[in-house]
Amino acid sequence: MPSEKTKVRLFLAALLTPALLVVLAVVAFPFLFNVVLSFSNANIYHIRDWRLIGFDQFVSVFRQELFWSILLKTVIWTLVNIVFHVVIGVFLAVVLHQKFIRGKAWWRVALILPWALPQYITALTWRGMFNYEYGAVNLLITKYLHLPPVEWLTSPFEAFLAVIITNVWLGFPFMMVIALGGLQSIPDDLYEAADVDGASKWFQFWNITAPLLRPVMIPAITLGIVWTFNNINVIWLVTNGGEPADSTHILVSYVYKAAFNMYRFGWAAALSVVIFAILFVFSQMLLKRTRASEAVY
Amino acid sequence: MITRRVTLLGDHSAMSLPVLRRSTGLLLFLALLCCASSCSPRVESHRRIQIWHQKISAERDLFHEQLKRFNAAHPEYVVEALYKENEELRNLFVIAAVAGQGPEIIYGPSDNVGVMVTTQTVMPLDRVFGPEFFERFIPQGIVSWQEKRWLAADQIGNHLTLVYNTDLVPTPPRTLDELVAMGQSLTKDTNGDGKMDQYGLTWNYREPFFFIPFLTGFGGWVIDEQGRPTLDNEQTVRAIQFVLDLRDRYKIIPKEGDYEIADMLFKEKRTAMIVNGPWSWGGYGVPGQNMVAPLPINSETGQWCEPMISAKGYAVNVNAAPEKLPIIRELIDYMTSAEVQEEMATKLSTSPTATAVLSSPVMESNPALVASMQQIEHGRPMPIMPQMRQIWEGMRGPYQLVMNGAITAQEAARRMQREAEKNIADSNL
Repeated sequence: MPSEKTKVRLFLAALLTPALLVVLAVVAFPFLFNVVLSFSNANIYHIRDWRLIGFDQFVSVFRQELFWSILLKTVIWTLVNIVFHVVIGVFLAVVLHQKFIRGKAWWRVALILPWALPQYITALTWRGMFNYEYGAVNLLITKYLHLPPVEWLTSPFEAFLAVIITNVWLGFPFMMVIALGGLQSIPDDLYEAADVDGASKWFQFWNITAPLLRPVMIPAITLGIVWTFNNINVIWLVTNGGEPADSTHILVSYVYKAAFNMYRFGWAAALSVVIFAILFVFSQMLLKRTRASEAVY
Repeated sequence: MITRRVTLLGDHSAMSLPVLRRSTGLLLFLALLCCASSCSPRVESHRRIQIWHQKISAERDLFHEQLKRFNAAHPEYVVEALYKENEELRNLFVIAAVAGQGPEIIYGPSDNVGVMVTTQTVMPLDRVFGPEFFERFIPQGIVSWQEKRWLAADQIGNHLTLVYNTDLVPTPPRTLDELVAMGQSLTKDTNGDGKMDQYGLTWNYREPFFFIPFLTGFGGWVIDEQGRPTLDNEQTVRAIQFVLDLRDRYKIIPKEGDYEIADMLFKEKRTAMIVNGPWSWGGYGVPGQNMVAPLPINSETGQWCEPMISAKGYAVNVNAAPEKLPIIRELIDYMTSAEVQEEMATKLSTSPTATAVLSSPVMESNPALVASMQQIEHGRPMPIMPQMRQIWEGMRGPYQLVMNGAITAQEAARRMQREAEKNIADSNL
């Protein structure tokens, strides 16, 4: 007769097994298959009879000039987006957290809307708004700012700016929601004590709010970085697959193009492994340096 | 700093035996439910035929209607149609079929054949049909490659034509010179705010497929018989320069022209003419206030602006179960029959591939169809070699750069050639 403890363990194993099987099937297997593919010559001509060719695809990835320029662009894309997401998100969360704000529930819903809408709808709407002659953005620029219209979707720099603007719009509500949750868990006593000591609001923000938000925000920022680094939707939909002339690609959209437009499966798999390595090393370093997994009080 | 550790499992001893039993029972029930739900579709799948297609708007509605009729006549089977955008259609089909999955039938343009045959994802139609089936088609109606037949078309087309608003353009231009002159008189700033309220012409000039008629009008082409790009030459340069002139010198096309904007401008009557294909005619109400005409001739070279012509039709997944082949045969037979093609020609102005329809009175009764057939006469078959994928990709970037004013027409032609060659070489790694 098994003991009570064994029964509990068996029961827990029974509960965990389905989840484990699903994880193996949808995460571990595709990941390992991708790694194997990255060492192969799989392409349109060898999609069924591919063979392992060593590190050739990785060498080809690193030798391609475009890889380095897209990597740089991806870093800029991620940094700029995250900075704006966090700054706007935390700012709005702090404002919404103030006692004097009326209709908080309404504001919250309104500010979460960009996040709640399906990404492709937002992206395609922004694409329309960036049209040179008929888009809302240029109409506003010319009518109210009396500036010349901007070639948002046809010039490389402006097109990159356009996707960043779209993604900033899409991403700040997530940071706002996380920061709002974090703010609500900070005890009021700390602010009351600071008020008694005559600390300014600015001083209170940097010495109470910011450190106590850190454990909530660091994992959110890490997630945000990974999501933004891998955000193919906005790039693909706003600039119609990296237009003009592949100048708005980030690494992940270029992987998609290599795999599904050019049928370079081995090469695309190698680039995906490189992306994974970059993100893995980065997130481990960030979490370790910031000790974000530890609580502060 | 105080670090707090919390155990996720909590206190094990709190879990009593009755709770365990109830939970185990629940697990068993869920497992049974999973089994039941995974068993039932397997039975259904024997009777289900799936078609992936890229038909849009009015064409899609009629397609569904025709499938419904087939379904009604074959109640023992369920034919399901699933729409996918053209690029997605080909890519997802190849991925699915390589993995042994995918729909039984794929409907799309003939240039997919090169990729599908190279990746061994479709089966030769000779394996599905007897020789009598192929006799109903004109030669272009059956797409062959490497000495096998791969696709049975229900229409010839996918070809660009000039669509014009008859209120603004009583007689369509015959030459590029006439097109420019007409465009200039039709491009207007009606309210005097410095912005054009109506353009003479528009099309999706970000996509190289729409550049082909101009390229051929100047005597150029994209690929040779060995599958090598043929873009770095005087013909390409002159064609690019002509498109640039339409925008910057004659100012008869909008500053920015993607498909959606061009389509919207024409539908809103803010442009007199548009270059677009048969898939769009239903949405434009052709024939009616808007009509179709062959693209003009280039009087400078004496060459027609020839669009690429391709058949559109049905191919069979290499993984299609042998027991389904009879119903697949029957379905394709019906969907490419003279009856269905005649209905399409009448309602959608598509150009049929069945000889019986081509010689029927329906061909003369529809002016759009007459114009479409004239355009087909002045078109060039779309190459089906897989290298075309790499050539399109190679053309796209430089074509967009030249339209942005970032490079010259000469440089664009050079880069198109270089990038297409590089793409072809890379795709072999």
